[in-house]
Formats: sequence, C-alpha cells, structure tokens
Amino acid sequence: MKRFALIGVGGVAGFAAALMLFPAARGASDLSAYHQLDLFSDAFERVRANYVRPVQDSELVDNAIEGMVSALDPHSSYMDAKNFADMRIQTKGEFAGLGIEVTMEDGLVKVISPIDDTPAAKAGLKTGDFIAAINSTPIQGMSLNDAIDKMRGQNGTKVSLTILRPGSKKPFDVTLTRAVIHVDSVKFRREGDVGYIRISAFNERTASGLENAVRNLKAQIGGSLRGYVIDLRNDPGGLLDQAVAVSDDFLNAGEIVSTRGRHPDDTERYNARGGDITDGKSIVVLINGGTASASEIVAGALQDHKRAQVVGMTSFGKGSVQTIIPLGEGGGALRLTTARYYTPSGHSIQATGIVPDVAVSQSDNDEATTKLRISEANLPGHLQGEAAKKANQTPIKPPAGKKFDDFQLSYALDLLRGGKTVASLTKSASAN
Amino acid sequence: MSEPPASRRNAFAKGLALLASGAAIAFCGTFALLHFAHGADSSAELARFGRAYATVRADYVEPPGDQQLVEGALSGMLGDLDPHSSYFDPRTFAAMQVKTEGQYGGLGLVIGVEDGLVTVVSPIEDTPASRAGLKSGDRILSIDGKQTTGLKLDDVQDKLRGAAGTKVVLSVMRQGLHDPFDVKLTREVIAVEGVTHKREGDLGYIKIPAFNEHTDEGVRRAVAALRKEIGPRLKGYILDLRDDGGGLLDQAVAVSDDFLDGGEIVSIRGRHPEDTQRFDAKPGDVTDGKPIVILVNGGTASASEIVAGALQDHRRARVEGSLTFGKGSVQTVIPLDDGKAGALHITTARYYTPSGRSIQTTGIVPDVAVADSNTADTEALQSLIGREADLPHHLVAEGTPIKSDVASIIRPDPKKKYADFQLTYAEQMLRGPTRR
Repeated sequence: MKRFALIGVGGVAGFAAALMLFPAARGASDLSAYHQLDLFSDAFERVRANYVRPVQDSELVDNAIEGMVSALDPHSSYMDAKNFADMRIQTKGEFAGLGIEVTMEDGLVKVISPIDDTPAAKAGLKTGDFIAAINSTPIQGMSLNDAIDKMRGQNGTKVSLTILRPGSKKPFDVTLTRAVIHVDSVKFRREGDVGYIRISAFNERTASGLENAVRNLKAQIGGSLRGYVIDLRNDPGGLLDQAVAVSDDFLNAGEIVSTRGRHPDDTERYNARGGDITDGKSIVVLINGGTASASEIVAGALQDHKRAQVVGMTSFGKGSVQTIIPLGEGGGALRLTTARYYTPSGHSIQATGIVPDVAVSQSDNDEATTKLRISEANLPGHLQGEAAKKANQTPIKPPAGKKFDDFQLSYALDLLRGGKTVASLTKSASAN
Repeated sequence: MSEPPASRRNAFAKGLALLASGAAIAFCGTFALLHFAHGADSSAELARFGRAYATVRADYVEPPGDQQLVEGALSGMLGDLDPHSSYFDPRTFAAMQVKTEGQYGGLGLVIGVEDGLVTVVSPIEDTPASRAGLKSGDRILSIDGKQTTGLKLDDVQDKLRGAAGTKVVLSVMRQGLHDPFDVKLTREVIAVEGVTHKREGDLGYIKIPAFNEHTDEGVRRAVAALRKEIGPRLKGYILDLRDDGGGLLDQAVAVSDDFLDGGEIVSIRGRHPEDTQRFDAKPGDVTDGKPIVILVNGGTASASEIVAGALQDHRRARVEGSLTFGKGSVQTVIPLDDGKAGALHITTARYYTPSGRSIQTTGIVPDVAVADSNTADTEALQSLIGREADLPHHLVAEGTPIKSDVASIIRPDPKKKYADFQLTYAEQMLRGPTRR
C-alpha cells in the first residue's frame, strides 16, 4: 500500500467509523491488528485484479466475513443483509406460513402432515398431497428451501397452491391465507400416577405450555400424583429466557444460570423467584446426547439444586451464548459467540455437557451409538470446556431378552415410584 | 439465541467513544490509503470488513488471534470462488515449498468425496496406504484427530501430505465394521510414476500417469524404444491418459509438440486480453506421423486434457474412451508478505484448445465413446471422483460449446472377458477391421 502516498480526505470518515470500534486498543496488539488488516486488503486487491472473472466486492467481503467468523467455533456465523432481514421478520413474529410439514419427493413438495389449527389444516390439505405449483410457479426444479421460502411471507397475505392428490384425477388450486404458526413445544400425558411432560424445543410459548401441562396433570391425576418426568431428550434448545422460566417453575430460589463473557462486567445471573408449580413433587429429568443448550440449562439448574434426578446419557454440551450483532446499514449481522453458560455450581456446560445422576442407556448397543454420536466436543473448532468433570459411569442397560418401548422412561417412572424396578433387575440406582 | 444484553450494548458504546484515541488515527491512515486505491465502492466494502473484524476482536467470548481472524477471512473469501481457489496458510505454504524441493512425502492414497465423507478411491500399490491395508471405499473420518467433514478435498490432501518420515494417524470407518479404527502410517516419498511403455504386437503402447518434469523426456524415450523394438512394421501408438490427473503445463505442451508439426497447442486466457498466452508446436513429429489413439476417461484432467484436446483438434489422434474431467482452469500462487503470511492460490485463467473450446466443465468429448470392461466397478468409482461440473461453485464453461456427436457408447460383449476393453478396442481401431 506504500504506493499511495496521498490521503483522500473524503474517504477517511467511513473507515474511521469502522476502526474506532477497537475498544481499548493497545500498543503491540494494535500493530498486529494493523498488520493483519493490511494483509487482508492486499489480498482483497489482488483477487479483485487477478481472478479469472470479475467478482463483486460485496461477494468477496461477505465470504471473508463468513470465513472469519465461522472459523471461530461451530455456532458463530455471518448473516448477509438478506438473511439478516429474513431473520428479523421471523423474530418479530410477522413471519407467517401455512402450517405444513413438507418433504421433497419426485421433484414435488409432498405434505407430511398439516399442523392442527393452521391455514393448511383449515383448507383441508392432507398427508400425501403433492404441491405442484405455488402461485402458479411450478415447483419442478426448485429446492425444498426455495419452495418453503415461497410459501412463507407476510402474515395475512394469500398464496395459492396447486395440489395433486392421489386418487383425484386433476390437480386443483387452493388459496390459503398465511398466518403466524405456533408450534407447540410441550406435550404431556398421564403415566398412571406420574405426569409425563415432553419439551421438544424452547420457543416463546414453552414456559406457558409447561404450566398448562402441570395444571392439567394435577387435575387429571389428583391426590395420587407422585411426581413428574420432564423429557428433554433430543431437545436442541432455543430461547434462554424460556429455559430460565421453565427452571424457575420448579425452583423456589437460587441461581438458575449465569452467562459469562470475556469481561467480568458482562456476567449476567438469572435467579429463581419464589413458587414451585409442582409443590415440590419429585422430578426426573430425561436427557441424552441430543439434549442441548437451553435444555442443558434446565437440566443443570435442577440437578445442581438437587431438585431433580437427571437420568439418561450425557448431554450434547452446547454451553455458549450467541449474540446477534448488526454490522450497520446494509451490512448484515454477526451471530457471534460472546459468552458461556455456567450452572449454579459454576460448571461450564461447554463441551462437557450435563452428566446424568444415573446413566441409563436406551438400548443394549447404545455404546456403539454413543461413540459415533456427534456432540459439541466432536465439532471441529469447538470451544474448550473449562473444569471438565469426568464421569465414567457404566450406563444401566435394558436387561437382555426383555423388550422396552422406552427403557429410559421406564427407568424414570420406576425411580419415581420406588420399590421394585426394571432397574433392580440389573443394578440398583445409586443416586438419591 | 438472545438479544444483546444491556451490558454488551454499553461495551459497544464504550468502543465508539474511543474515536479520539491514537490507535484509531493510525488505522485511519491505512484505510484512507486503501480508499484512494480502490475508489468508493471497494472502500465501503473494506470498511464493512473492518467493522466485522473490529467487532469480533472486541466481543468474541475469548480474545481471538488477529492472524487467526484474517486467515479465516482469506480462506472464506477464496474458498467460495471456485473449487480450485484456496488460501494457503503459512504452514501449508511452507510445506508446499518443500514439496517442490522433492522432500515431500505422502501416503499413496487416491481419494474422493462420497456422501460428504472423504472416501478412499484406491490405494496406490506399494505405498504406506496399501501396506497398511487401506481399501477402496474406506471412509477417512479424521486425520491426526482433526475431522475431515467440511474440508475441501484439496485441504484433505494437504493434511495427508507432509515431510517424508513423519507419522500420521487416520481414523477409518470401513463398511461392515461397527466402530471406526485408527491406522498409523509413516509418510514416504511416493515415487512419482514415470512414463511406461510396452509393445502390443505391431503397436506401441505408452502410458502417462502424470505430468511432471520428466514426462516429455519419458515419452520421447518410450517412442524411441518402441520404434527400435517393433521396427518398420510399427502401425501406430496408443497414448494412455486415463486417470492422469495432470500436472505441469509446459510438459503438456512439450508432449503435444512431440506429435505435431505446427499450429497452436493450447492458449491460456485470463481476464484481460493482454494476459492471453499461446503455445505453438515446432516442426517435427517423433513418430513420423504414425496413427495415434488416445485413451481418456473421467479421471483424465487438466494437463492431460490439453494433450487430448490439441491432438484431437489437429486430427492428429483419435480420442477414445469416456468424457474427461473438465478441469480447464489455471491457478496462480501469489505469496502474501513474501510468503510469511501464506499465499493466495487463485484461478487466474482458462485453457482453450486450438479450435477455441474451453475445457472447463465440458471436458474433452471422445471421438469414439467406449465403455470400460468392468463396468459396475468403474462407474461406481467414477461417481466417487465426480467431474468438475459436479463440484460446488465450479467456473462455468465459456467459449464454443462442444457438440456431443457421440451417438452410442461401445460396450464390451458381456459374454467375453477383457483385461482392458478400451485398450483392446483401440488396438482394433489402429489395425483396421481386417481381423474379425
């Protein structure tokens, strides 16, 4: 860059605005940052000048930012301006759809199932229907994601679908009005004297769904209710505030989780307020390798407070917090890992995961699956966990020759009921 | 996952307040210079990068290394351009230097990608890979503990290579086995395969496995030896370029020149007309104009495609076999900071055959399409390797599209056994339809 001795006055302002963002820049570290940026601009200029075809500057920079951020860890990423705009519509709740689960088959979109009480269900779409065109644009040649994008849009707008239904001779059109789709993340059922609650994700309505489930189960089971199984298996997580609210539902007081960033003043603590919606009934939390993030916060908080026994297999270990940081006008946004989660006892969930109080494997050959399972610790470039607690429990396995639909659940129910258990056939539970 | 907590926004504001600090002024200097160099558009884009860089430096959960950030940015910027452009970090670049000095070791593995996993296409005989018992179809899950998923094939190849004598541990998944297992191998200098030849009755057969410094010399020596061995009955030559992944351009030019009396061999065209380079044949044909059949397949790439394309366009040879790979782009290595910061490896030009066809993605269409003998196996392997057009973000073809006038594919008689049907067919073409 030495060739260009003159400083263009007009251009300085924009760069200055970018660069003053270096907080607390100091001596040696400045030099390194300066040098690296210089290298980058040199490379950028060379690619612009020499690449076999002209490339958009914005494309180069988008890819550079994406490469820089995604090399940090598996959860940091870059959203270009378009993706960022889409995301903002989604989180504002203005993002609407039709309420169908779909897949791709023979080049057409196939309806797996319409979700109850959505535009798709109301319009009479059925499992097995094929969608051949959206607003008269044929699906053929479109990717599934593109098709889904076309079906989504502003709440209240209309979309017309051309449907091929097996059994009917001709395709027909249906017009649907897009609506905000709420997917229930909480399901529950009575298991004799135990309330079983399944949480499949943490979205805006998870805590209220849980409270509703507990109310219903109390009414259904009545005085004989012994306790609850909270099933967090394969729950990939979601919203932090919902994880906090769900934990709070079962806790009377104390810390639920803390997030700690690079600087001590970034630390945030979330505490439980008084009141336990189950009136202190026993709880077993089920986890497995698919239990991640927000689910791990719940499992970790209830475990640390000895409010629940955690049963199953070690969880995924996603203990990092991502923050959306917009890059200014038209610049997209970074989804950047800025902090780690810590359970009340000070354990980082990152990479270690939540180790169950009682390790119970779902099947005989779970060991093979555990080895091959993907967990945070297997992801390339994962953040290291601090203070890893090593648990070398041999998991309890279903006794040979007996069939269980869901051995982990059977074990959890037995644990709540006490006495003779499926587990006592193999080994008695060690945790209390 | 969560909106920025209030404290983070405060930290951000604090960052903004540092405007007047000395550091900020120093940076202004560099960027102003850049601005001057690129004009408004690119300066805005560079500023955008600067913002992202500053944000990550300030807010990432751990203090990131500046070098790590920029290396990530460079691999992202180059890696998405096309399948052959990439950034060599300083370590990789240093290792490459060693490679050209001949101390470079490898394992002797031909690899491809299947189902997103790095898969062994074949181990080369008498190499560390074959001695360790690696098999075609084995999946390589990790190299020295680092997962291979998500890596480019070129990067995987780089990780497999290293100084001769060093060790590498592969985690291998094999069909039929429950668990992946580890294999420890010691890298060694893999003998670069040279040109081989053999007499096939009244025909000379010459196999070129790759284009390295000695290839042209090897071809000339092979022709001389065959002429001497067969004598005046010599009817013609078979030049086998199957599975020849290419190599040095100057050797491709020299080999083509061996068989041509004049005319263009290949041209390289970059972005600017003044970048165009033409390579022409000098008079003299080492075979005195004897007929030639060139064997090609989906593994014939780059330098090999130049030879096949040049001899085909000049009607000097008939090209037989299956469609070639289609790698018609030229990469240039541009060191950064004298190599201390690694190097850019970017596509800067395309190859064109004498008639003006771009080899890129279309490949060389054989004059006679002939299937291989052991059809099922080879087709399966071919799909493992894939073609340029299957690679994500490949450069699209330019220039005159090639019309495929291949009406039908000649296949071996299923009742008969052939050691190498394509070769057998080539021999028949050269000898004429007299027998049978």
